Amino acid sequence: MPAANVAAQVRTSLATLKASDLQDAQIMEVLKLAHQLTDTMKLFFSSLDQSICQEFNYIADYISRTRDEIAALRPNDIKTERIPTAGVELEAVVTDTEKATETIMSAAESVLCDEETDYDTYRANVEAKMMEIIESCSFQDLAGQRVSKVVNSLRHVENRVARFAEVMGVREDLAPSEETDEEKRAREQLLNGPAIGGPETSQDDIDAMFADAGGDSALDQGSIDSLFD
Amino acid sequence: MAVEMTMPILVVDDYKTMIRIIRNLLKQIGFENVDDAADGQEAYEKMQKNKYGLVISDWNMEPMTGYELLQKVRADESMKATPFIMVTAESKTENVVAAKKAGVNNYIVKPFNAGTLKSKMTAVLGDF
Repeated sequence: MPAANVAAQVRTSLATLKASDLQDAQIMEVLKLAHQLTDTMKLFFSSLDQSICQEFNYIADYISRTRDEIAALRPNDIKTERIPTAGVELEAVVTDTEKATETIMSAAESVLCDEETDYDTYRANVEAKMMEIIESCSFQDLAGQRVSKVVNSLRHVENRVARFAEVMGVREDLAPSEETDEEKRAREQLLNGPAIGGPETSQDDIDAMFADAGGDSALDQGSIDSLFD
Repeated sequence: MAVEMTMPILVVDDYKTMIRIIRNLLKQIGFENVDDAADGQEAYEKMQKNKYGLVISDWNMEPMTGYELLQKVRADESMKATPFIMVTAESKTENVVAAKKAGVNNYIVKPFNAGTLKSKMTAVLGDF
């Protein structure tokens, strides 16, 4: 029951009491004060009820809007379609490259082990194996197409996540970042993986670090310094 | 001292194709006595049972990385003098410096060829 209604009921009760023709002056004074109090509180609780209602209405609207925004992001599509499909495509890339690698390695090993002494026969054998290698290299085309599909899916997910963060008003600088066990191990073991566009430190620069060492594995400061020239 | 061409070499990599590639390269260079392990842990266990003339190891493997293997080998009196070459895609300077400090004898970044492998093996073992 709204507080204002309670105050109204108290006021009604007090009016009834006052009309009952009580003789005691002190009680009449108390009733008069109580009457004034309920009038004041009626105003207060009316405004409180209204502001609370407004707040709740606002929160309900916000939740409803957020739910609609999240639904528009189609999270089920990401979970049940995009990501599983990307996983399947990547597994196919691994399988395709494994098959191609096996064909290429076997062809190369066959040529290296070929002990045919007749030149024409040897040449025919080598050419046949070279053709197998060339044909196998078509895996790169298929792998490229599959990886492109995966990249598109990742971009799609990235956009959706960014949109979700925007809808929820997430600020990254407020979010505490905790290092996972995997990240900690990667950091401690210096697991950076292959660099994009070739090795970050060239073989020549690495050779320079070992050039003066000989049998001594102590690090030469001059060799390290040369890496930063 | 002349390099013994029949000495056993241990190749450590979690990628079977890479082991196959290195075996072929070693065969081209003249080394056919090649053993392999799929990660640092398996390699260390093999090294405790067999003596190898050279270890050629990748870095990024689990449950034991090549870096951890190197540290364990250098800390183990029975094998600490074993020549150790890192062959890896880890090419940051911090990796090379860390491996050097841990006692690696040489460091090859992937991709590489037979010529590079031979020159680094020569630098570590001597002419052959």
